Amino acid sequence: MSLNAVSTRLPPWLIKKIHRNEVSLGTKEILKSLDLNTVCESARCPNMWECFSKRRATFMILGNICTRNCAFCSVKKGLPSHVKKSEPSNITEAVGRLNLKHVVITSVTRDDLKDGGASQFARTVYELKKEYSDVVVEVLTPDFRGNADCIKIVAESGPDIFNHNIETVNKLYKRVRPQADYYRSLNLLKFIKDNYPAIYTKSGLMVGLGENRDELEAALDDLITHSCDILTIGQYLSPSRTNIPVAEYVHPDEFKRLEKVAFEKGFLYVMSGPFVRSSYNADQVFNKKCDKEEV
Amino acid sequence: MVEVVVPDLGEDVEKAKISFWHYEEGDKVEKNDDVVELTTDKATFNIPAPESGIITELCVEEGEEVEVGEVIAFIDEENEELELSSEDEEEEDTNF
Ligand code: SF4
Repeated sequence: MSLNAVSTRLPPWLIKKIHRNEVSLGTKEILKSLDLNTVCESARCPNMWECFSKRRATFMILGNICTRNCAFCSVKKGLPSHVKKSEPSNITEAVGRLNLKHVVITSVTRDDLKDGGASQFARTVYELKKEYSDVVVEVLTPDFRGNADCIKIVAESGPDIFNHNIETVNKLYKRVRPQADYYRSLNLLKFIKDNYPAIYTKSGLMVGLGENRDELEAALDDLITHSCDILTIGQYLSPSRTNIPVAEYVHPDEFKRLEKVAFEKGFLYVMSGPFVRSSYNADQVFNKKCDKEEV
Repeated sequence: MVEVVVPDLGEDVEKAKISFWHYEEGDKVEKNDDVVELTTDKATFNIPAPESGIITELCVEEGEEVEVGEVIAFIDEENEELELSSEDEEEEDTNF
C-alpha cells in the first residue's frame, strides 16, 4: 500500500458500503426521469446508495443552486434557476412510484425570492397530502430570514414535521453559516411549536467542526428551551477542499454518549451516529418517537 | 466476466482515489464482499463485489485516481466454478 493511500484513509467507522443494485439504480432512474433534485446527490451524501436502495430520498425543491455560502455545504452557489411549476406534481408522482410512506422535502435557500420559496413548499405539501393523505410529510426548511409570514405559509400547508437544522454551536456560526443566525434558527423552531403545537419540531447538529463538549451541551439545552422535539446528530464530512476542513472524527462511543445526554435533557427522540443525517432514516426516527409517546 | 465500476458518488464528483484493495489478483471473492476502498474529498467507500468469482485483474494501483464510471477490476464468475470443482477448493464446495 502506498503512503499516499494510507494518509487519505478515514477511521474504520467512517467507511460506507456502496449499495449499488437494481433497486438503488431504479430509484435514481425515477428521480432523473421526473427531473427532480435530491439533497442526497447535491450534498454528496455518503448514505446515497444505501438510502436509494431502500427507496428513500430527500427531495430538494427550488433548483439546485443556493443563494447562501455556508462553509460546510457542497450545493452549488450562485444565481438560482426559475421556480419549476411542475415540481410539486413531479414529487407527488415520484412518491407514488417509489411507494414512500415518509417524504422529506428540503430546498436550497432562496433569499432572492420574495417569499423565500415558502409557497413552493406549501404547494408541494398540499399536493402530496391531497393525493396521499396517510403519507408523513417532513419539511426541512431554510430560515426564511426569520420572516414569520413565510414560515406560516409552510406550516399551514399541513406538514407533520417541521425540521430546521441549527447545524452547529453558536460559536461557530460566523465561520460555518455566515449568513445565518443561531437564535434566528432556534426561534423558528419555537415559533412553530407555539403556533402549531400539533406539528413536531426537529433539528440537526453536525459534530467535528471544532466545537467542544460544553458548547454542544449548551446547544442541546437551547434546542430544548426552543421546543425542539426530535434531534439528529452526525459527523461533519468536508465535501471538497474548498469547504471547511474536518476538525475531528468523533468516535461512535461519543455519539452514543451524546444520544444519552440528549434523551436525558428531554428530547422526544434522538438519533446520533457518524452517518446520521437530518433526513437519514427519517421514517424510523418518526415511528420510534411515536412508540415512545405511547409508552 | 463482470466489471467492478466506480459508482456515481454525488453531484460533480468526477474522481475518487483507490485507497485500498482488499484482495489481490487471483483471489476468490464472494458477492457483496468488499473489493476496494475508494476515497473522495468527502468520504470513504467500500465497493462490494457485484458477483462471486475470481479476481482476474486489478486495473489500478492504490493511491491512483480513477474516474466515475471507470472499470477498475474484473471478476470471472465462471472461473469460480472451475476453482470450486478442483481438489483444493473441496472444503469450500461443501458450503454451497
Ligand atoms: S441521509 Fe438523507 S440526504 Fe443522505 S442519502 Fe439519505 S435521504 Fe439523502
